[in-house]
Amino acid sequence: MLMLRLAFRNILRNKRRTVLTMLSMLGGYVLLVLSLSVQNGSYEQVIDFFTKDSTGHAQISEVGYQQRATLYKAVPASDAFYQQLTSLPLVSAAAPRIKSGALAYGETKSFPVQVVGVDAQKEAGLSFLAEKIKQGRYFNAQPNSDGYFEVMVGAAVARQLQVALGDELVLISQGADGSLANDLFSIVGLIGSTESLDARTVYLPLLAAQNFFAMPGEAHYWVVLAGNYRQSDELTAQLNQWLADRPELEAASWKVVSEEFYKTMQADIEGGYIFYYIIIFLVCIGVLNTVLMSVLERTGEFGVLKAIGTSPSRLFFLIIQETLLLAGLSCLFGLLAALPLNYWLASTGFALPEPMEISGVVMAHMKGQWDLAVFVEPALIVIGSVALIAVFPALKAARIVPVDAMRGL
Amino acid sequence: MKPVIETRQLGRFYGEGDTLVRALHQVDLQIEPGEFTAIVGPSGSGKSTLLQLMGGLDNPDEGTVLLKEKAISEMSGRELSDFRRDHIGFIFQAYNLIPVLSAAENCEYIMLLQGIPAAERKARVYAMLEQVGLKGKEQRLPNQLSGGQQQRVAVARAMVSRPDIILADEPTANLDSQTGMDLLDMMHELNRQQGMTFVFSTHDPKIMERASRLIHIEDGRVIGEQRRDEG
Repeated sequence: MLMLRLAFRNILRNKRRTVLTMLSMLGGYVLLVLSLSVQNGSYEQVIDFFTKDSTGHAQISEVGYQQRATLYKAVPASDAFYQQLTSLPLVSAAAPRIKSGALAYGETKSFPVQVVGVDAQKEAGLSFLAEKIKQGRYFNAQPNSDGYFEVMVGAAVARQLQVALGDELVLISQGADGSLANDLFSIVGLIGSTESLDARTVYLPLLAAQNFFAMPGEAHYWVVLAGNYRQSDELTAQLNQWLADRPELEAASWKVVSEEFYKTMQADIEGGYIFYYIIIFLVCIGVLNTVLMSVLERTGEFGVLKAIGTSPSRLFFLIIQETLLLAGLSCLFGLLAALPLNYWLASTGFALPEPMEISGVVMAHMKGQWDLAVFVEPALIVIGSVALIAVFPALKAARIVPVDAMRGL
Repeated sequence: MKPVIETRQLGRFYGEGDTLVRALHQVDLQIEPGEFTAIVGPSGSGKSTLLQLMGGLDNPDEGTVLLKEKAISEMSGRELSDFRRDHIGFIFQAYNLIPVLSAAENCEYIMLLQGIPAAERKARVYAMLEQVGLKGKEQRLPNQLSGGQQQRVAVARAMVSRPDIILADEPTANLDSQTGMDLLDMMHELNRQQGMTFVFSTHDPKIMERASRLIHIEDGRVIGEQRRDEG
């Protein structure tokens, strides 16, 4: 307790310098909290959107489909399978999809497209497909009164083929049974923009896709959602456990399904660390200066402390303790400032100067993340870094020769 | 009786070549328990250097210092600081109290290093401060005390851990005549009552009058010694 009192009173010796040092640490801490919050919050938004819209949190497919997707690798798309799947504890939603390529024909032009067959009802409760409709409406699962299935097309398809709502669309491809697949569809919706991920996609009701690709009662994969994308690994493990008695099927998390996207996000997150390193570097320079000055000013006093029996290690830890105390108090005050700021950032957020469109959905707001880690990690980084930076002055103090040090007194 | 401190052919030099200064040269001394010894000599004679070497605050260039029959040069930094903590009390000319600690805390500090329980520390500190005439001033910071009072705290700090020997470097030099006298009387009393060994470096005649042993030093050499039954 006496050592703690000594450390505390030492940091109060030069109040102005202490306040300035604390302000630099406090500022660094608050900046780190807010940066981490915005970074995590934005990545969370993007990953959450991407996984819900595109990959799901996990997918069930035939073994090998994720490595090499072919028309012939299929999974059951029955109601019984769906019932069993959605009864698993972590599963919050699931929908089957068929995915393959086709050549699309408009009035006068043709264009290669990606065909995605989705269960109209299940998909609406799982992805953002319905929200991405820019013109027209969501399709019906059953054929219209003329006997045609309804389709929704991406913006690039509509532009290339010069087709609009109510026009007919012809698709030609190959069926899973080797037959030639061709059919006529009615366009009821236009999806996203030409920049969207699915700009070259034609969405078909699942039944239409099953008929078209000759895959009755089947799909290529099931898209499965958990409560949160962070549960994807846990969800995948649970699905694989459930599929243990069906060796022909396997589950893969979104990180595997869309490995490129995952790696890009990881690289982007790591790139953001450079900003943190700069903040920490600036804070550390200030702290090093303060601690060094403080040690130099007290050289004689350290000489006395050593003369009366203070061991080098105790002197070393006294300096470290003073620095940690300074850093701890700075982070504590910083926390008081960061709490309301980050609460506002996480609950209200701020409008982006340029709204960002991801796959046809516009994100106009950027929100922070309200998470314990957002407050704890920067504190650990600040405290750890300044403790590390204090090692040099602390060693300097510990190595003082009493008789030399006391000459200045 | 075994000496508390013994020096053998002790030497300390500064500079080199033509600028070599022999601050101490071939000093042989033995300090017995209970002595009230004054090392006397003019300024620059090597008194303080001898005291610093005896206390392990500096390393000799020649010879050996034996503290309780153990050579200082054989001790590691940690051993030496532990040895000083447990066996030697220092009183400096400029008091050298820790400015952010109160009188009581300054005294308590060494006992904290020794691992003495808090209750015992407190009891010993208050008793010692009372003994040096600072009762009621225990919580004052050094800058709230006069020079004489600060030196009394320094004496209390040196004695409270019950060392084998107290080394005092010109303890009265910064004090007025009366305060210096009072302080000296107090240390002399403690020496007589508790048998604590004191070694002073001084050119203060008042200390010389009271010392049971005088060691004269000049140009880094011991040039004479006087012993008295009672200082």
